[in-house]
Amino acid sequence: MTSTSYNALTDTFIPKPIAEPQQADRFSDAAIAELEEIVTHYPERKAACLPALWIAQREYGGSLTPGAIREVADRLGLSYTEVEGVASFYTMYNLKPRGRHHVEVCTCLTCALLGAYDIVHRYEHELGVTMGGTTEDGEFTLSEAECLNYCGGATVIQVGDKYFTGVTPENCLSLIEELRKSQQFTPALLADSIVKIQTPGASTSGGGSFAAQDLI
Amino acid sequence: MAILNLLLEHRDVPGITNIDVWEAHGGYEGLKRAAAMERQAIVDEVKASGLRGRGGAGFPTWIKWNGLPKNYDQPHYVLCNADEGEPGTFKDREMLLKLPHAIVEGIIIAGLATYSKVGYIYIRGEYTEPAWQVRKAIDQAYQRGYLGKNILGTGHDFDLYIHMGAGSYECGEESALMSSLMGERGNPRLKFPHAPLPTVAGVWQAPTLINNVETYCAARWVLANSAEKYASYGTERSKGTKIMSVSGHIARPGNYEVEMGTPLMELLHQAGGVINGRLKAVIPGGSSVQIKTAEDCEKINLDYESCGANGTLLGSGGFMVFNDLTDIVQLMKRTAEFYMHESCGKCTPCREGTRWMFKVMDRIASGAGQQGDIELLLSIASQVDGRSYCGLGDAACWPIVGAIKAFRSEFEYWIEHKCSPVGSRFFPPQVEAVNPILALSAR
Repeated sequence: MTSTSYNALTDTFIPKPIAEPQQADRFSDAAIAELEEIVTHYPERKAACLPALWIAQREYGGSLTPGAIREVADRLGLSYTEVEGVASFYTMYNLKPRGRHHVEVCTCLTCALLGAYDIVHRYEHELGVTMGGTTEDGEFTLSEAECLNYCGGATVIQVGDKYFTGVTPENCLSLIEELRKSQQFTPALLADSIVKIQTPGASTSGGGSFAAQDLI
Repeated sequence: MAILNLLLEHRDVPGITNIDVWEAHGGYEGLKRAAAMERQAIVDEVKASGLRGRGGAGFPTWIKWNGLPKNYDQPHYVLCNADEGEPGTFKDREMLLKLPHAIVEGIIIAGLATYSKVGYIYIRGEYTEPAWQVRKAIDQAYQRGYLGKNILGTGHDFDLYIHMGAGSYECGEESALMSSLMGERGNPRLKFPHAPLPTVAGVWQAPTLINNVETYCAARWVLANSAEKYASYGTERSKGTKIMSVSGHIARPGNYEVEMGTPLMELLHQAGGVINGRLKAVIPGGSSVQIKTAEDCEKINLDYESCGANGTLLGSGGFMVFNDLTDIVQLMKRTAEFYMHESCGKCTPCREGTRWMFKVMDRIASGAGQQGDIELLLSIASQVDGRSYCGLGDAACWPIVGAIKAFRSEFEYWIEHKCSPVGSRFFPPQVEAVNPILALSAR
């Protein structure tokens, strides 16, 4: 399969071979149905690019490999570079593999005032990685987030799609302990299922935020 | 003038996210009233209320509502901007979580008034939990016939969809939000007068109405109650209420809905006052607006005019309080870093200028500042401000220029003595030696 690129000088579409070696599509039947449902929300297929990338991130196990981007491009009739451009713009699409738990510490103004950098340094010490790094066992990815907009509950830590509020340098390590025990896989990949179903009454609950003191 | 809960009145009612409880508390009354009115009368009602956009700019809401063609000749779209990203602001999160039906109802009313058949709520990717509440609210509204075909016998169809963002501050800007909704990178577009307004050619080149979450909630309140009642609150030119998200060195952080024109110190008092020290400074409207000293705070009232007259902005209501142990220079360094990270890279002045401002701020705040750095910062700011497609470049300059104006002596102290004038631990020493430059570049 080839994708095309647009040449503005000649006003033509030029077929372009894909650099990525061919891989089998990995969207499940349910994911394809979900994508086709989402496409009907918009006047054109291209608009479903963001939700399609959310689905791809889930189907490909938490990160967008070149194969995932190629599959999204094929399914939406876009070029590979166009989808890659979108995927690389937004920070929540993981272009490289992340750990089982993606711990994002908000270090923006209010959180920094109330000790976010102390927490960051404790985590770096505890996990043995610097910001943006993944532990060797693949359990944790630690990164710094820009404002998560729950400044009233500073310091805020986001793990996957869950917010943990009121974290202090004193109690922050209990969160890591709790995550070590948890069986779940928590990259941010649940957001897509919200847009999924338009059928009335079909929602199930999801997400949730926990105060840090609940863990202790 | 003080705390006045209009929009947040029912936020603590148990189960208010359920449509039955919401209807028992006067929910969907605004929609029922709007459905019985002429389309133009809805717009006139919003006009009479004096409601102004609550996303930050304070543009009169009715002008947008009135700007769309008043027929079904072409598709129109209603967008709700729930891509809250301004540091210090968390009002939209609370409303999406606790009052999703108020937002849904407001958007349906706007759809009715503007002859739009499709609406989208653009929610930022991190807000999974609030988005689930909106998802449930939309499903329940479909069940009751408030969404779908022929709403309440008006012959008007309206579908509402959620569009999840994926982590970009820039997408909170309206033209970037429209790009993002169309499946593109979140880059802004040329604005009026160089390009048509969104109400003429917005998303997919169709007439588009775009408002903030709080604006739709306020419009719903106006329709559910009355424009006269809403206009009776507030000051002469800023009507109604504003939700302020109070955070920082404050005893009781949280969302406070205040009447427009409330003295700033009154809100500070209501939120329990400053903790661990005395008041040093306040940022009244999110990180993009100018910081104000404690003396200036005495003069400011929380409305668009008073904030403007005192050289700051009401913005999105991200009210951050700092005590006297806060180092303003390090605070501004963190602000500059935020804008450097969030600049989308489309316009050169903003892309390069935000980086240079961070570099100079970093130099000062790490004790390597040189004489003339303050002038250099002001010079960069003057070359970025007003020279990019959207307001992000301006918003990156205002806090730094404002801080230099208000706290110039602290910048000079840092440059001269290579240390903090207040001995603040804003960026504390690390537990284990990790090179901060490496940590930054690893992101």
